[in-house]
Amino acid sequence: MSSPKTERRFVGKSVPRKEGRDKVTGAARYVDDIRFPEMLYGATVRTTSPRGRIKEIIFGENVPWDEFTIVTAKDIPGENYVALILNDQPYLVEEFFNHTEEPVLLLAHEDKFLVEKARRSIRFEIEEFSPVFTIEDSVNKREIIWGEDNVFKSFLVDKGNVDEVWESADVIVEGEYLTGAQEQLYIENNGMIAIANHEDGVTVWGSMQCPYYVHKALIKLFNLPEEKVRVVQTETGGGFGGKEEYPSMIAGHAALLSWKSGRPVKIIYDRAEDMAATTKRHPSHTRHRTAVSRDGKLLGMEIDFTVDGGAYATLSAVVLSRGTIHAAGPYLCPNVRIRSRAVATNAPPHGAFRGFGAPQSIFGLERHMDKIAKTLGLSPEEFRRRNFIQEGQTTATQQVIHEKVDLSGLMDRAFELSGYNEKREKFAEQNKSSRLKKGIGFASFMHGAGFTGSGEKYLESVVGAEATEQGNVRILAASTEIGQGTNTIFGQIASEALGIDYNLIEVAKPDTSNVPNSGPTVASRTCMIVGKLVESAALGLKQTLVGSGFLKDSGYTSEDFSNACRAYIEKHGALKSFSKYQQPEGINWDDEHYRGDAYGAYAWAVYVAEVTVDPTVYEAHVDDFVAVQEVGRVINPVLATGQIEGGVAQGIGYTLYENVVWRDGRMANNQMTNYIIPTSADIPPIRVFFAENPYAYGPAGAKGIGELPMDGAAPAILSAIENATGVSINHIPLVPESLMEELETETI
Amino acid sequence: MSETNSGGREFADRTVPVILQINGIKHELQLEPRVSLLDALREYVGLTGTKKGCNQGACGACTVLVDNERINSCFALAVQYQDREITTIEGVAHSDQLHALQAAFIECDGFQCGYCTPGQICSAIAMFEEFKQGAPSAVTEHLAETEIEFSEAEIKERMSGNLCRCGAYVGIVEAIREAFDKEAAR
Amino acid sequence: MKNFAYARAQDADTAVQLITQNQNAKFLSGGTNLVDLMRENIEQPDHLIDVTGLPLAQVEELPGGGVSIGALVRNSHLAANQIIRERYPVLSQAILMGASAQIRNMATTGGNLMQRTRCYYFYDTDARCNKREPGTGCDALEGFNRIHAILGASDDCIATHPSDMCVALAALDATVHVTGTGVERTIPIVEFHRLPEDTPQIDTNLQPDELITSVELPALPFARNSMYRKVRDRASYAFALVSVAAALEVEDGTIKNVRLALGGVAHKPWRATEAEKVLTGAKADEEIFKRAAAEELKAARGYKHNSFKIELAERTIVSVLKTLASEGGAR
Repeated sequence: MSSPKTERRFVGKSVPRKEGRDKVTGAARYVDDIRFPEMLYGATVRTTSPRGRIKEIIFGENVPWDEFTIVTAKDIPGENYVALILNDQPYLVEEFFNHTEEPVLLLAHEDKFLVEKARRSIRFEIEEFSPVFTIEDSVNKREIIWGEDNVFKSFLVDKGNVDEVWESADVIVEGEYLTGAQEQLYIENNGMIAIANHEDGVTVWGSMQCPYYVHKALIKLFNLPEEKVRVVQTETGGGFGGKEEYPSMIAGHAALLSWKSGRPVKIIYDRAEDMAATTKRHPSHTRHRTAVSRDGKLLGMEIDFTVDGGAYATLSAVVLSRGTIHAAGPYLCPNVRIRSRAVATNAPPHGAFRGFGAPQSIFGLERHMDKIAKTLGLSPEEFRRRNFIQEGQTTATQQVIHEKVDLSGLMDRAFELSGYNEKREKFAEQNKSSRLKKGIGFASFMHGAGFTGSGEKYLESVVGAEATEQGNVRILAASTEIGQGTNTIFGQIASEALGIDYNLIEVAKPDTSNVPNSGPTVASRTCMIVGKLVESAALGLKQTLVGSGFLKDSGYTSEDFSNACRAYIEKHGALKSFSKYQQPEGINWDDEHYRGDAYGAYAWAVYVAEVTVDPTVYEAHVDDFVAVQEVGRVINPVLATGQIEGGVAQGIGYTLYENVVWRDGRMANNQMTNYIIPTSADIPPIRVFFAENPYAYGPAGAKGIGELPMDGAAPAILSAIENATGVSINHIPLVPESLMEELETETI
Repeated sequence: MSETNSGGREFADRTVPVILQINGIKHELQLEPRVSLLDALREYVGLTGTKKGCNQGACGACTVLVDNERINSCFALAVQYQDREITTIEGVAHSDQLHALQAAFIECDGFQCGYCTPGQICSAIAMFEEFKQGAPSAVTEHLAETEIEFSEAEIKERMSGNLCRCGAYVGIVEAIREAFDKEAAR
Repeated sequence: MKNFAYARAQDADTAVQLITQNQNAKFLSGGTNLVDLMRENIEQPDHLIDVTGLPLAQVEELPGGGVSIGALVRNSHLAANQIIRERYPVLSQAILMGASAQIRNMATTGGNLMQRTRCYYFYDTDARCNKREPGTGCDALEGFNRIHAILGASDDCIATHPSDMCVALAALDATVHVTGTGVERTIPIVEFHRLPEDTPQIDTNLQPDELITSVELPALPFARNSMYRKVRDRASYAFALVSVAAALEVEDGTIKNVRLALGGVAHKPWRATEAEKVLTGAKADEEIFKRAAAEELKAARGYKHNSFKIELAERTIVSVLKTLASEGGAR
């Protein structure tokens, strides 16, 4: 048998999903599939107006209130905030509230129908305060609703001296770009079950991405030592960021009800509640002012990027950070200034959603790049090619790119696969006489993997590997499987590292009483950062086996390995190995000046979209999509392709269908019948290609992949629509009436 | 509050005996008439494979087969579905042998989070039956003809009642073709 | 959802008897709208009379070329019916463009007619809605009224009827057969649903004790050249922004017969009689199609978010008529 060093046996192969069989037979257990004896059903009573003070809670008639467990802020044993970054979001409103759908009161009863009736019967007497709903009003301080100036966080990135470029520039191009909110709309609604009491502490089971976020929040809420709080992830029906921070809220609510009632409590949100009350993607506003030379070189970029954070800080600072760093894209520009801020409005807090700020700022940038190209009389691709960043050059944060980046090559590939050049010509000809207008467009972009800046250093993630009595290896990590393939790729990485069969690797269910904190399952970090720790923890295990003489250093079989595990356990007891994150040499980040190595590695991509626009009835449809990217080594091609396809599908929704309608700070279309996401009939063939360029610090050379595909669809599709219709559109979502308005304005 | 006469024996109040035939097994239940078939399956029979996504017929996660036709079990009152043959995801495989479509879903990666998957699989099984019987769809070009091509466009339209937010549609369509193409070509 | 008492009727007479004998009773068929509304506490019946066991699930040819569709024929079966596909393709298409395959398998012909005219505010029990709670006001008037009516609305209600099937039925001159306490009668489809006026809580002209038994399509040979076009937010499984059902007969370049109805624009399926007047006997060209569409939409009134539907409806009408004129019965 050859050594794993020379021939890869598991990495790069499309092994089937570890939990695949359970998922196709209905055996997989999601939170709502679990019941405990004596369990109560919990419900959340929420505010119905955007800002004010609760004067009185009025309980409805014809409800047997004495049978209910009722929890208010007064029942909270510890701190009344969801511990995250600034700790400004309460678990339950005490008096003042800042958005609709803010939790005030919790109810539990064993009769589900009765809980719903009771919830609907409660009314509040309130004093209303003047609210703020838009970025503009918030920035202009129409009312101060948060802190001193409504600003949760602001950043300044400054490279070179942008003030000096305007006078000498041949051309200056300005533009404004808007993106709307987007609902994650995982098909499994949020839900939690809790058992909480003074003796045993708090245990919760539920749908989530980040068990240790929930753990941290519950410790504060109950003021308990960490060993008294246990968080278990159940099979999770999609997250996309939507189950990053809000599950801490629901877990706390379920636990408070259980703490008071002494019985297990289950809270499962219904669809309308989940859509109206939980987080969405931050709406954004980007302003660009760009200086270019006549030969198409970027000279200076001034970028103003603002996101609407909703009523509480939650994760907005970090979302803003990622959006800010990606705002100048994969282009070389000697002078860049990016000012950004996250501001407060009286809407439910916006939160994590795949891409995390980057899709917003990249949308603005890529539309703006098309605009500059047009102004210069260059093709959009030629203008990009003249400015693509190269190895050794610096990004906006002055990070020197040390990897071999070849965006021009990715573009060639994407154009070849999509027939871009031929179609550009063909469509131009056809559109002259055809009623339906066809177009093709692209976007080029990058996405940083892992936490921003020093984030990974502070996280200090840990992964364990343990030998089992059956002679298997079990990976211990808090990183969750939410459909993206965590279980499977961890299995592949570990089996590759150890040179043993994939089926010998088990992946423990995330349970804080059993797995170390490998950090949150976010930020395209699970493969690159946590996967690397899986690799080293597995190798640590092997080292111990070799060091103690149970295993040869090489030339062993899977069976030999299993035997060695068993033998070791028999002689010494348990065998575990842990690996803790260490930042690779040469990564330096200056948090104060927002300068330096923002991410350990970037994925690079060029996406091409082909569209048909029906100008008679203002329908736009994506006909074909080509996604070419470099993500380091691909661990599992089929799963990786699925990640890209899924991100592109969500991106198509973000661009053409998904319109969160706000009415007084509340989502008005919070149903699946009126918030429109793509069906199978809306998704074109998505052709996915990977250029592989192994990354030295990733497991088997892999980088991050999960968020990248969310970035490219929107600008590529609008570029294609511009190609089809000649109309440049700078906002999403582009619903039929917006398209109508744009097309009509243009023809008048 | 008006106390109305419930009209005598015709009306069953509060709870009623409901006999459901599910995956070949008879279940005798005592249910309130307002209990949906979905809740009856999940909470009273313990078959939790069928999922609740929106509880208003907009996502398809609750799709089950009734007399081999697909329906949304969230809209269905259990009491209405007595004497019918109900098949859920738990009844699709033959003991250890996966249904060809289940195997194809794994093979073609027709899912990620898996939450919509039971509904997708039940839906696709019935979809293929409809297709074989010559039923048209909104994209069928020649409506009057009963010979319809088992094309990608037909599959996508016919499966549009099952939303997948992970966006595994490419894999889902592939899996359906993998499982049924041969039979469709006959 | 409030609990209720349930009964299953085996014949129409018993069903009618049960509904007259019990207060706050409703017929239950496929349940795809009623159960949903009950779950939201919008409908709160005390008694449900399940009529799905009634022997009304046949599609029958009538002497003289018409077709009778039993009230319990399910949407999927009706759309797949060979007679309908050949003679009334607009009806098959309309049904197939409505809802999802699962819902079409549950929903019945009678139930489709009886689904509520509705909007978001009707569903949102925190909002004011004259249809849900008469006299409370209408939050849609000043609210997000994108999907709302542009024709025949009142200041009390601007909701739209969501059915696709009924738009095709309106174009096809269908009649609805109903049975009540000792009385049977027929109602032309265009008179079956109501405009809101100042009683938007009443959607139809059906009496509370009446049960739909069948829908009759008259012989309409030129309906072989008919089609349904639905403009919506995504390619499938979405309500109409605007839809058009039309049948057209052109002889020697002149419009001999035309039937035109619109969906998504009014409290009821909207038969476009004004447009039909302009078209009948005229030369079949784009200009007359445009004039007809403009004539029909003359009375249209847009609100803040739905004015685009006026132009959209005009354009869709023109596009459908052009297609039918060029195909001339090819389908």
